[in-house]
Formats: sequence, C-alpha cells, structure tokens
Amino acid sequence: MARVLIDDATMTVQMRGLHQLWGFKRRIVAPLAHVRGATVDPGIVRESAGFRAPGLGLGRLATIGTFYRDDQRHFWDVTAGGHPIVIELTGERYDRLIIDVDDPRATVDAINAAASR
Amino acid sequence: MARPRSFDVDVVQGAAAAVFRRLGYEAASVDELVAATGLHRGSLYGAFGSKRGLFVAVLRKVATPPEGALVAPDDDALDLLLVAALELAPRDAEVRDLVGQACQRLDPADGSPSVALGTRLLHRAGLGPALEPPPAPTPTERST
Repeated sequence: MARVLIDDATMTVQMRGLHQLWGFKRRIVAPLAHVRGATVDPGIVRESAGFRAPGLGLGRLATIGTFYRDDQRHFWDVTAGGHPIVIELTGERYDRLIIDVDDPRATVDAINAAASR
Repeated sequence: MARPRSFDVDVVQGAAAAVFRRLGYEAASVDELVAATGLHRGSLYGAFGSKRGLFVAVLRKVATPPEGALVAPDDDALDLLLVAALELAPRDAEVRDLVGQACQRLDPADGSPSVALGTRLLHRAGLGPALEPPPAPTPTERST
C-alpha cells in the first residue's frame, strides 16, 4: 500500500509500514514533467512482474520491490485484494510504478491532472 | 529504453476507439483495451502512458484531423465526443479543449454542435426518428 502526494512540481509515492522494508524503498520522487500518466488497472496483477531484484515475491499474494521486464525497471507494491494503479514515468530510475492505493480513481485523476497541466 | 514500435498506430487507436464508444471511458478496462488492440499491456503503457493518454490520442484524431481533411465528424466520431464530453471534459481541461475544437468542426448545415450531438445521442438511444419535429411549412405556402 502506498500514498501519492502531489505538490507544484513533484509527485511523491510514499510506501507504508512494512512495505518500506520488503520493497527496500521508503519513497519514490519524480518531477511532474517526468510523469506520463496514471491508470486504474486491477487486471495487471495477473501479469508476470518479471525478474525480481531486490524485493519480495509471494506469487499472487504480494509483489513488492524492484522488478525487471522488457528491458525496463519497474517498482511493484501490490498485495492480493489491493487496488493497483499504474504510473508511467520517463527519464527516471523506474520506468513504471505499480502500486496499491486507497482510492485508485481519485489518485489517478489527481496524478493525470497534475501531469497534464 | 523502450523498444521501437512494431504496431500500426491507426489500427490500435481504431480498436481502442471502438471500446471507448461501446463502454465509455471509465468502464473501459485496460484488460478490454489490451484484448481489443492486441497489444501487450506494457506496449500500451509504453506507447500512450496511460488509459487517459490513449483516449486523448484517439480524441485528438477526431478533433484535429490532418491538414486538408474537411470531412465532418461521422457517427463514430460523435459517439466519442459524447463520451469525452460526458465523462472527462468536466474535470480535464485538455479533453475539454479538444471537445471544443471538434465542435467547431461540426458542419453548420447540421445545426449547432448542441443539435448535432443531441440528435446523435437520441439516435444512439433508438429515439431518433420518433422525436424529429414535423417539417416546417415553407414560406411560400403562407404567402398570399
């Protein structure tokens, strides 16, 4: 589970609780200009995350940490029953963030509004 | 670094537009868009950034056609405009601008944009012919 904070120029994804530990990340910060967009995407949990390094993979139960797929680096923080969104980045360490959030639609709308202004 | 695109953008956008017309914007899941376009999920995100990015690309084609194309929006285009106006335009300035641009391209012979969109909305609902007003009498019939 993560929380997304947006200010004038940056987007901050803040990991919660023990997820900071499993994923080896407390937060990911990116300038809004490097945020391509966000999408509500419950179906993405059925896809393979790719190769894990480092992080926690418990099959369908939890996918947390850095994964490599299609020559890209992705950060996952999703657990079974969560509400995943996909944030696409450019020019950042991670090409894609796949994270659970409390209110996916409102979060995605806020990210897209900030990224497209 | 993303791999070079190996798909036909027009075909992908056409398939995505059909999904948006049928289901609307919010109800169109990425699963559905992936199935309809035949793209991998990662390629869809890589090419368009988000579901919104894909929708905006599709809408942009309707709102700002290539130079020299003077064709008025067809029913498919009007359906997409209706989806955009209903779901995204109230909270998305870029979509609102694109809907506004598309409205300016509607043929004045069809009446104002509100008439064109409203007529299409009722036709789509199966209420078109029943609600059309009777033909107005021509001025010559009234003249003495």
